Amino acid sequence: MNTNGNIYTIVYTAIIVVVVAGLLAAAAVFLKPAQQANIKAETISQMLQAAQFETEGLNNAQKLDKYAEEIDHAFTIDSKGAKIKDLGVTRDNIELVDGLKAQNYAISGKSGFALGLPVYVFKNGVSIIPCYGAGLWGPVWGYIAIEADGTTIKGTYFDHDSETAGLGARIKDDPAFRGLFVGKKIAWGSRPQFEIIKGGAPAGQENAIDAITGATITSQGLGKAISTWLQAYEPYFSSIIKAEEE
Amino acid sequence: MKLKDTFLTPLLKGNPITVLVLGVCSALAVTVTLKGAIVMALSVTVVTGLGNFVLSLLRKGIPNRVRIIVQLVVVAMLVILVDQILKSIEATFPIDKQLSVYIGLIITNCIVMGRIEAFALGNKPFPSLVDGLANGLGYGLILVVVAFFRELFGSGTLFGLQVMPAGYITNNLVILPPFALILIGCIIWAHRAFDKELQEK
Repeated sequence: MNTNGNIYTIVYTAIIVVVVAGLLAAAAVFLKPAQQANIKAETISQMLQAAQFETEGLNNAQKLDKYAEEIDHAFTIDSKGAKIKDLGVTRDNIELVDGLKAQNYAISGKSGFALGLPVYVFKNGVSIIPCYGAGLWGPVWGYIAIEADGTTIKGTYFDHDSETAGLGARIKDDPAFRGLFVGKKIAWGSRPQFEIIKGGAPAGQENAIDAITGATITSQGLGKAISTWLQAYEPYFSSIIKAEEE
Repeated sequence: MKLKDTFLTPLLKGNPITVLVLGVCSALAVTVTLKGAIVMALSVTVVTGLGNFVLSLLRKGIPNRVRIIVQLVVVAMLVILVDQILKSIEATFPIDKQLSVYIGLIITNCIVMGRIEAFALGNKPFPSLVDGLANGLGYGLILVVVAFFRELFGSGTLFGLQVMPAGYITNNLVILPPFALILIGCIIWAHRAFDKELQEK
């Protein structure tokens, strides 16, 4: 058989492509539930770590149980800080990264994206809010845990898509960087409410931390993501603080 | 060539990284941690092995003019499958995330296409499978050695566990890719000093 003829070549490549496409489509459909479960468990574990709960060594199921144990209520708010929708305490309503990306568009006012910023409140009074923005190579996002007083940061956890290992990736990998946030206070009302300062935050400034050496753009991007999202949440937290004062 | 030689040559005398100098790019990128290097090595081994096997099965029917394209389609499929599987297993999910684009970039790894062109298209399926697996393992061997030194002296850890005394300051030179190049250079040097046949006149 002539394997170099035109018709043979076309038929051969067409069959190969169809077979390969079929296999890949089957794999994607078949593996999707397992992948989603991993992503969800990871997101939940990041929120728990932001709120300083221990998740080290837990498997996916244990992470979900831990969340169910600690969560009190969750809801979304609009740009005025008013509650839009109760999310309940089920784990099915956790915003995954794609949801955060859509919310980031909504915050920046891009049309076609409805604003619905999630707030997760744990039984110990700690609220978790997410943030999302651009790093050096791809998106950076994370979770900020705020104490019941509405200003003190209990903890944070950040993640990224493709920041440089050992440099920008330290926003996720380096516990010391996360540790810098603990006990800092968000300066609601000032601009920016929170800063990541290259060269080091001045001693005594309560709403700033040091940037990561060698990861200037990742640090700046994360700082911008945090301050942009904090601004979106400002009406909500202002009302909490006001209610507490009265 | 005997099957035993087919298997052993790529591990030492014909090692893809130190002798053929193929796949160096990813060897620089994924050797920051041992876990990452091992997952990458196994992924490449699966892709080279199965890629060689499948294309050896197809070798008599492939139209010569679209040979490379057919190889590419098969290799790309295998790489995507490996990536999807790594993402869906609980234990490898975080490592796949850490390796990010480099799993996808196995497609461009010269070892894969190189072995298909040089071996699989001219040999029976079983020897091709062995050749592919051996080349993947030869690549993985160097990856693990490089990652051992980089994780130990870069982050002060092995498999994520602290090995260096507490307070060890991470060494950015070792963490960044240039050090991997220096290390691979040293390995090539040692390999050639040991095996005189490899020295060029």
